[in-house]
Amino acid sequence: MDISLRINGEECALSVPASRTLLEALRDDMALTGAKNACNQGVCGSCTVLVDGMPVNACLVLAVNVTGRDITTIEGLGEGGELSVVQQAFVDAGAIQCGFCMSGMIVSATAFLAHNPMPSRDEIRTALSGNLCRCSGYVRVFDAVALAAQRLSP
Amino acid sequence: MIIEEEFTVEAALGHVWNCIRDAAFVAPCVPGCQDVEDIGDGAYRAAVKVGIGPIKTVFKLDIQVSEEAPPGFARIETRGQEGTNASRLTAKSDLTLSAAGAGATKVHYRSDVQVVGRLAKFGLGIMKKKAKALGAEFAENFRAAAEAGSPAAISGG
Amino acid sequence: MDFYQPTSLDAALALLAADPEALPLAGGATLVAMMNADLVEPSALVSLRDVAELQTIEAAADGGFRIGAMISHAALADEARLGGGNEVVRQAAARIAHPQVRNIGTLGGAVAHGDPSSDLPAALVAADAAIEIAGPAARRVVAAENFFEDYLTTALKPGEMVSAITLPVQPEGAVGHYEKFARVHGGYATLSVAVVLAMAGGECSHVRVALGAAGATPVRVDAAEARLLGSVLDADAVRDAAAILAEASDPIDDVRGSAEYRLMLVPRLLGRALAAAEGGA
Repeated sequence: MDISLRINGEECALSVPASRTLLEALRDDMALTGAKNACNQGVCGSCTVLVDGMPVNACLVLAVNVTGRDITTIEGLGEGGELSVVQQAFVDAGAIQCGFCMSGMIVSATAFLAHNPMPSRDEIRTALSGNLCRCSGYVRVFDAVALAAQRLSP
Repeated sequence: MIIEEEFTVEAALGHVWNCIRDAAFVAPCVPGCQDVEDIGDGAYRAAVKVGIGPIKTVFKLDIQVSEEAPPGFARIETRGQEGTNASRLTAKSDLTLSAAGAGATKVHYRSDVQVVGRLAKFGLGIMKKKAKALGAEFAENFRAAAEAGSPAAISGG
Repeated sequence: MDFYQPTSLDAALALLAADPEALPLAGGATLVAMMNADLVEPSALVSLRDVAELQTIEAAADGGFRIGAMISHAALADEARLGGGNEVVRQAAARIAHPQVRNIGTLGGAVAHGDPSSDLPAALVAADAAIEIAGPAARRVVAAENFFEDYLTTALKPGEMVSAITLPVQPEGAVGHYEKFARVHGGYATLSVAVVLAMAGGECSHVRVALGAAGATPVRVDAAEARLLGSVLDADAVRDAAAILAEASDPIDDVRGSAEYRLMLVPRLLGRALAAAEGGA
């Protein structure tokens, strides 16, 4: 099926089978491999992307069902080759261990901070509850989100 | 998982044994059984349709009566697969019949069932409940059929 | 697999009627997950994304609500108008999985899936909701209590789908509460208790209780509520009501807890749910 959608601000026309998930389309058709495929069941959050600004599990969304939508992946967060504030905060806080879950964590955190710029620690935990880190390095991740919130505050 | 049940049929032990060892008699009592073939030497082939909500499939089963002591005991080994080998099933079942007072027979079965493949992802909790429900449905169908008729009456009809 | 994106409910129903192996696609949170696991292989999907009539929340003049099937869990969880007794549904929606899944999953999809371990069925039974069903021949309404029939099995017939949920006017002063026990934040419930409670003069004047993950369908028992009605929700009344509910329960054994453990949770969670509701009533 022929579909068109915006990915990281760019209009894209794709031809995909109806059963192809957004995650597969991003990774295999668009070579945007930042969103990761781990559980393929909507449990781990490593495939998190934004659809019209809302975080979703790209593995649970069919590409044909997001025609006309605005998709943002980890690749679309920075500008002009620079990391976004949230990305830089993850680096500075030492939040990254093996890195596999990071794109999902950062995309979730970005969407969350856009809605809740001054979150409590508990709110950060809840917002990232759909992102599993099997290195179990959550403490630095929460530190990173708090740091990003601080840097983003006016 | 272990599935163990028993039920009573108001009929003599010998009659119940004849019924339960006749594939053509048993097949219509098995919920979802579409096809059964007696290929001799205690071996059978069957196709059984099962479903839970939107998940529907047909298991193709090879059934072998590996041991029997008429009219009270049979050991049955079942192997099967569904969805072009997407899931595989093996079961070892012991079937025991015993007299329960005048003209009644107690049927007891105990199956150790293993499922691997896509259906195993679905979770054994619900599968076990489903197997129990199907077992109860079979028991009711078989009890009614065995109390009403005999193998010859069925296969002749 | 074919894919259709109709823009009206009638068009969607006609597409489903034309192909018995086609399935309606709401959000996909469960259906796509099941397709990814090779558990279902529909011949076609009829996407409800662009069916406008399924996307609204209407407050009825009498104080009840009609909520379109395509309303996401996130939108339901954020619906500030769902207060009083109907708060139980809002709370249950807020406890479903994680933000990413709540943005995808829909009320209609979750109801039609009929998983007794999921959060909404018990809450809808406690709220005495009604399920609006659209089919090729007619529209009909089934009480939530009668809608859930077995594991993943509902009153929906082939070609039918959930079009909306209606929530009734709850008794004056009623408070809803959804109490969920899960192994991890956002996990499926090991057991959950949904309650709508009203108190008058310190005594229970209205109560509906439904258990989730306690059997093939939400578990609700008249006798348990009768035991609580008129009581001051003392420990004896709660214990007796819990015993009646546990007796009617038949939970599964799985990684989220043994059947025995789930039954042990019934009195504890019922007590917590009633106390929380009473605190707000």
